[in-house]
Amino acid sequence: MDSTATAPPPAMRFNPILPYFAVLRTDFGQTLQSWVFRLWVIVTLITAVGYWLYKFGIHREVGLVQSASEQTGILLRTIGLVTLAFVSLISIVAVGGERGTVADSILSRGISRHQYFLAKWHSRTAVLLGMFSVLSLVVLLAYHFLLEPDVTFSGGIAATLLAMAMLAAVVAWGVTIGALSNGTVIGITIFWLVLFGSLFLMSYLPEPFPSPGYMLAQLRSILRGNYDALHVVKVMAIFLGIAIVGGTVGLVGYSRKDV
Amino acid sequence: MPADAPGLVVETSHLTKIYQDRHIALNDLTLAVEPGAVLGLLGPNGAGKTTFLRLVLGLHRPTAGHCRVFGLGMHPNAAELRRRIGFIPTNPQFPKGMTPIEYLDYIARLFGMTRQARKPKLAKLIPAVNLLPQSGQPIANFTPVMTARLAVAASLINEPELLIWDEPTHGLDIEARRSMLDLIKTLAAEKTMILSSHNLSDIDEVCNHAAVLSKGHLIFSGTLQDLKGRIRKNHYEMDLEGDQKAIAKTIGQIKTLKEVLSCTLRHRRLDLRLADDVANTGVLAMILQTLFDNKVQLLCMRTLGMQTESAYLELVEREDQRGFARLYDPLQDAA
Repeated sequence: MDSTATAPPPAMRFNPILPYFAVLRTDFGQTLQSWVFRLWVIVTLITAVGYWLYKFGIHREVGLVQSASEQTGILLRTIGLVTLAFVSLISIVAVGGERGTVADSILSRGISRHQYFLAKWHSRTAVLLGMFSVLSLVVLLAYHFLLEPDVTFSGGIAATLLAMAMLAAVVAWGVTIGALSNGTVIGITIFWLVLFGSLFLMSYLPEPFPSPGYMLAQLRSILRGNYDALHVVKVMAIFLGIAIVGGTVGLVGYSRKDV
Repeated sequence: MPADAPGLVVETSHLTKIYQDRHIALNDLTLAVEPGAVLGLLGPNGAGKTTFLRLVLGLHRPTAGHCRVFGLGMHPNAAELRRRIGFIPTNPQFPKGMTPIEYLDYIARLFGMTRQARKPKLAKLIPAVNLLPQSGQPIANFTPVMTARLAVAASLINEPELLIWDEPTHGLDIEARRSMLDLIKTLAAEKTMILSSHNLSDIDEVCNHAAVLSKGHLIFSGTLQDLKGRIRKNHYEMDLEGDQKAIAKTIGQIKTLKEVLSCTLRHRRLDLRLADDVANTGVLAMILQTLFDNKVQLLCMRTLGMQTESAYLELVEREDQRGFARLYDPLQDAA
C-alpha cells in the first residue's frame, strides 16, 4: 500500500445563508458610495444649516425665539419631506437599478430570488434608517446646546423612532415597487402615485388611527415628552406592519418575475 | 433518449415562453443534454437561444412546459441547482468599483463558499486566467479580453458540473479566441457544456452535439456529425489548374456521367454534385481519372456536404419554407 497516496480533495461545502450576507454587505457599501446617497446627506445638512441660520437671523433681527421642540419638530418634518425624493429613488433602484446583465451575473449564481430581494431590502433600510437616525441625533443635540432645551431625551428618541418607522414603510414599498416595475421611471411614477394615494386615504382614518400628517404635526408635543407611549408604539407597529407587508409583496412578486 | 431518463443534465419538455402575450420566444422545445455533451446552440438572431439559456438557469419562468436540471425542476429560487452551474452571459457586466479579487470573492460568496474554500480557489484562478498583473486594478478599466478572462474565472470558481457560456468568443481577438477554444476543449473532457454562438467554425471545432433554433422552434437536435452529414451529401468543390480548353473538355466528359447530378465551373472552381445513392469513391475515382487524362491539375478539393455552415443555413431555409407543415412534428418531417 502506498503510504504517500494523497486523499481525494474534500467535496466543496456551501453555506446556504452566505449569499444573503454577500449581497447585503456589497449593497450596503455601494449605497454609501453612491452619488444619490451622498447628495441626500448634503441636501439634508444644507437644509438643517439653512433653517438654523434662518431662525438665528429672525432671533437676531426681531428677537423672536421659538422653542427647541417646535424648531426641531419643524426641521425633522422638513427634512423628512424634502428628502423623500432621494429616499424613494435610493429604494426604487435597489433592485430595479440592476436590471439586465448585472442582475444576470448575480442571480445566475447560487443565490435564490428570496435571498437577493431580502438582502437588497434590508441593506437599503439599514443605510437609510441609519443615516436618518444619525442626522436626527445631530439635530437634537444641536438644539439641546443652542437653545433653551425643552426637548426631553425620551421625547427625542420617540420622535426619531416614529419618523424612522414611517421611513421604513416608505423604503419597503419603494424597494418592492422598484423590483416589480419594468423601469426606473415607471417605478418612480408608481411609487409617488401609491404614496400620495395612501396619504390621502389615511387622512380619512377614524380617530384612533392617526394619519402620517397628523403624527408629524404632533412631533413638537412628542419632543417635549407630552405623548402617550402606548399610542406611539401602536403607530410605530402599524408602520412597521406596512413595511413588512410591502416587503412580503415584493418577496413573492419578485420571485415570479423574469429578470 | 426519453425525457425522464435518469442522469440527464438538462431536459426540457414542451418548453414555451411567451412574453407579455405578444412575443413567442420559445415554442414547444423538447431537448435533452446528456452528461459529458458539449452542446452547440445555433440559430439566427431572435431564434430563442438566450431565452432558452435563461430558462435553464431559472432567470425566467416558462409559460408552459418544464425544465429540469440534474433531474430537479428549475425555478427562480433553485439556488442549490445553480451552485452546480457556471454561467457566462453575452456581455458580462460587473458591479462598480470592484477589483478582480473583490469580484471573484463576491461571486464565491454568492455561491455560499466558505472562506476556507474560496480564498485558495480565487488565488488559483486569477493566475490561471492570466489576470495576476491586473488583480488589484478596477474592472472598469479592463479591455474586452480581460473582461472575458474574468468572466471565465467567475464561471469556474464553484467547480460546476455544467457550464453555460453565451457567446464566449464574442469580441475577442484571434489569439484570445484561440485561447478560449483551447480552454473549452480542455473543460469538455470533464464537464457538460452548452455553448451559444454565432460563430459556426467555433461550434464545429469544440462541440459534439448541436441544437438549431429558428424563430423559437427547435429544428434540429443531435450530434454534430448528424447535422453535417444529413444535408448535401456528395457535394464537392474542386479548384482546378490547367489549359482552359482541357478543362472545358474535362467538364464535358464529367457531365456525361449518369451519377453526376450537376457540374458547374466558375473561375476554375468546379462545383460538383453526385447522386445520393451512389458509391462516391468510385465516381470520384472516374472523375479524377478524367482530370488526369486531360492533363488538368487538382489544386484543392473540399466536401461541401460536411460543412456545418451549409447544413445550418439549409436547415433554417427549409424551416422557413415549411409553412403549415410545421403543425406536424418538425424534426420527424425534416429527417
